[in-house]
Amino acid sequence: MRISALLAVLLSLVTATATAHAHAALDRANPRVGSTVGVAPRTVSLWFTENLEPAFSTIEVRNAAGARVDQGRARGSGNLMQVGLKPLPPGTYQVRWRVLSVDTHRTEGSFSFQVGQ
Amino acid sequence: MSSSMLRQLVLAILFALVSISEAYAHCFVGNRFFPATLNVDDPCVADELSLPTVSAFKNSDLPTSDFPSARQLDISGELSKRITDNFGISFGSTWSRLHPPGGPNASGFQNLETSAKLQFLTDPARELVMSAALEVEWGNTGAARVGAESFSTITPTFFIGKGLGDLPDSLRWARPFAVTGQFGYAIPSKSFKLVPGEIDPETGEQEFETERRAKFLVYGGSVQYSMPYLKANVVDLGLPDFINRLIPIVEAQFQTPAGNSFDTGLGTTGTINPGVMWVGNYFQLAVEAIIPINRASGSGVGVMGQLHFYLDDIFPRSIGRPIFSSTTIPAGRPTFGN
Repeated sequence: MRISALLAVLLSLVTATATAHAHAALDRANPRVGSTVGVAPRTVSLWFTENLEPAFSTIEVRNAAGARVDQGRARGSGNLMQVGLKPLPPGTYQVRWRVLSVDTHRTEGSFSFQVGQ
Repeated sequence: MSSSMLRQLVLAILFALVSISEAYAHCFVGNRFFPATLNVDDPCVADELSLPTVSAFKNSDLPTSDFPSARQLDISGELSKRITDNFGISFGSTWSRLHPPGGPNASGFQNLETSAKLQFLTDPARELVMSAALEVEWGNTGAARVGAESFSTITPTFFIGKGLGDLPDSLRWARPFAVTGQFGYAIPSKSFKLVPGEIDPETGEQEFETERRAKFLVYGGSVQYSMPYLKANVVDLGLPDFINRLIPIVEAQFQTPAGNSFDTGLGTTGTINPGVMWVGNYFQLAVEAIIPINRASGSGVGVMGQLHFYLDDIFPRSIGRPIFSSTTIPAGRPTFGN
């Protein structure tokens, strides 16, 4: 009896996950997290594990001196967010993202990449 | 305490309970995700369900043990619910089955355990979080045949979690490390009980002896290395998704008699629990070894595993939200200051 009740609870939870949306985690990025690229990228693209609310999601890219090098407002659809970049000289750049997934949960993260070093 | 001071204290507590925070839910602090740990509690309030947690181990072989050398199987569940964004409660219960050597088996529920926790500090930039809780084990709600006590125990407990994401670039490989800790003081509801002793040969009357109930320092923590953090915030090594979702972890939990323990013969007991977690979008799986630190803590190596659900992700618009939330679901497009 108790075992069957336990299994029923577990089954209902597993079934519920089929239609649920979770926190958005960074799935992959271009430029790749922690990478060094030979040619300066013109955009930073971030793919997440969940669909996003783009209007409530931001990406900032800064150089080693802390100055913004992105072109402003990030755009996206589905699970992709992108932001354009100004021409980047060789150096280290920091990407900071903050997104709202469609289940209304906030997540954030940051990583760096290098150009031409 | 004067009435004005009391009023200020009440206002301060109410402010802490309803202070504005965003809906990060299950233990996200800035870039950091602290997973639910098995032996020590994580430092956040959350909507989550641990069901089941299964552990198998062998009790101490010392004669002072309640069930010397008995093999024990525990199956437990715990439900945690946020009342506000920063304040939550939880309920937990454990079913135990004991196999004493040569003796009859015994099974039954341990005492009901509850907790009320306030997450009073969340510092995303430093990946730092602190909480305080009042944990209660309710006496006489379990079966004495499996060791459930007849008295209640109240344990004020402090929790802390710190991610190392703010280390300098030269130590970036260590940024996925995080530590958590908890420190509590377990106070039994009664400091002693009378147990039947010998019959007085002269008077023929039953004598009684005093059995002390010690107070304990209850403490522990975890050291964890987050592969999800490594991939998303340090370097993406292109590893398989299964590897990128693992968090190797070592937990430890101890209890040391700290009061009313004179002549009880009690010493520090505890376990070290190395293991690994797999973190999914809606649930996590964990398995850990149970290594007793001394003979009084157990004999041999045991094992425990847990299936843990993130209710805030499974039911984000219903039971996965705080009952009273300061966070609203956004309805319009904001103006950005980019």
